Amino acid sequence: MVIQVENLSKIYRINQKTPGLGGALKSLFRPQYLDKVAVDGISFEVGQGEIVGYIGVNGAGKSTTIKMLTGILAPTTGSVRVLGRDPHQERVANAREIGAVFGQRTQLWWDLALIESLNMIGKLYDLPPAHYRDQLARFTEMLDLGEILHIPIRNMSLGQKMRAELAATLIHDPKVVYLDEPTIGLDLMVKEKIRAFIKQENRERGITVVLTTHDLGDIEELCQRVIMIDMGKVIYDGALQTIRDRFGKYRTITLELSAMLGTGDLDLLDDTEIEAIDGHKWRIRFDRTRTSASKVAAHVMNQVDVNDFSLTEPDLTGIVKQIYQGALNDIKVSTGELAQVTV
Amino acid sequence: MNTLILRRHWRAFAGIAEMTPKFFLAYRAWVWLAFFSQGLSMTIFLFFWRAVYENTDQIGGLNLDQTLTYVLLAQVISLSVWTNVVSNMGHMVREGQIGVEFLRPIDFQWAQYLGGISQLAISLLLNLPLLGLALLYGAQLPTDVRVWIAFLVSLFLGYTVIFLFDWCIACLVFYTTEVWGLMVFLTGVSAFFSGVLIPLVMMPTWLQTIAAALPFSQVVFVPVGLLSGTIPLTEAPARWLTQLIWVIGLAIVSRICFQIASRKVTVQGG
Repeated sequence: MVIQVENLSKIYRINQKTPGLGGALKSLFRPQYLDKVAVDGISFEVGQGEIVGYIGVNGAGKSTTIKMLTGILAPTTGSVRVLGRDPHQERVANAREIGAVFGQRTQLWWDLALIESLNMIGKLYDLPPAHYRDQLARFTEMLDLGEILHIPIRNMSLGQKMRAELAATLIHDPKVVYLDEPTIGLDLMVKEKIRAFIKQENRERGITVVLTTHDLGDIEELCQRVIMIDMGKVIYDGALQTIRDRFGKYRTITLELSAMLGTGDLDLLDDTEIEAIDGHKWRIRFDRTRTSASKVAAHVMNQVDVNDFSLTEPDLTGIVKQIYQGALNDIKVSTGELAQVTV
Repeated sequence: MNTLILRRHWRAFAGIAEMTPKFFLAYRAWVWLAFFSQGLSMTIFLFFWRAVYENTDQIGGLNLDQTLTYVLLAQVISLSVWTNVVSNMGHMVREGQIGVEFLRPIDFQWAQYLGGISQLAISLLLNLPLLGLALLYGAQLPTDVRVWIAFLVSLFLGYTVIFLFDWCIACLVFYTTEVWGLMVFLTGVSAFFSGVLIPLVMMPTWLQTIAAALPFSQVVFVPVGLLSGTIPLTEAPARWLTQLIWVIGLAIVSRICFQIASRKVTVQGG
């Protein structure tokens, strides 16, 4: 296993400040602390060559976990081992073999041209010059760095900066890479370039990737496995496909009826369920493995005139939302299908 | 162990040393500004000490020429010897950039130290024109090469002392995330006790005792004293030894402080 996380917790101690001058004075002499549990006893393992999507809403504990994995933060309790090392205790040894992108920070030097920053990084990692040149040539082509090599970082656009950042992160052949929101704020073209690059590095060099993102396109494109975290706890750890199958079973059809009807006025097929009624619009959810859109629609049309209808494909955004809202809990209780759920 | 770190990472450290001047020179306007204000304060010192010596030949055992030599040389090197460890660390902790620095494959303290040494060297070279001004104002430079060597060694050791001392102070930033007050305090105290303003030998004995107990004099009074002749060359080995003891003691303390403080780190914005 490349990454082993066991019962990991991080508790931040936050100085509570009461508003106003009096409060400021009070907190000077008797500070009030609030313990905030950011990560709450999580465990998981990541094998070599995996790309794992680590997802959750803001404040769920994603970044805190990543910071403990990289060795920046010390865990409050529990243990982390990356390539057999404790990343906080052996920070320098760990740093030689990993790479990390924090979407909102830079490891490049603001005032220097990209090429100078990369040269410096080559020296920091003590890369043999010939190997460094090969890597640079490869990255220049794949990430289209040619036009930006001689521009200082501060003059780069967001997309240029992220490409530069990725090159800087991967140039020393890390075995494990942590990408904390690598596509945040980027346009689709750049996103695709970056995804293709990550995919290729993973396939050809077997690097292990832990990716946090809010962009479900990243997840669908890159990850076979997702770990979902909420309020510091792992709420799902398993194949992306399982979730998609489970939730992807349902489709929603929206029918615009010619008349206002009440719930009891319309007969519906089995395996369907009314999601919402909004005036003339009926949203009906059905199990596509048991029935079809045309059957559902035809059954309704036999009873009432339909002006319009549309079909909604489920996307991960919706699925994730449902899981956050506790849908996974219900499913687990009712069907027990998702064995990996660790709530 | 430390020499091992040095040997294994020499390319990394050479890279840092080579890169620091680039940042430093990125603030060229600032360099020029400091230059002019320092020239101005040297002029003020010149007239001040001439006036002071109007009615007397000796103060604290020094005559006007000796005092001027000391004071002017102290002004020249004082532009270079102060570290920006506290403000750097404060900035990194506040902005969360410290996280990125922790990810670099080298020892953080060594990297900062070598950057500092490199900056010291560059800054001394850049300030050579001020030395010309000092000579114009009557400072006298030694002709004995041994004096220059004694000066350079003690300057290097003294800088190391101050770097390590500032490192300990900078660890407080992890707890306060506020540096301005800390820096004002440090600047004031260090200016007074380092010997930038007056040769420490002119102070009353009890103040000299306090100054000797603080590390600041190691970086101005000792090297400038040797260079200006206020401290005789024969005392050089003893001064180096004192500096070395400071270095060893502070190296240990600063390591421990940082170990404790960095466990506490809560990277901002996480």
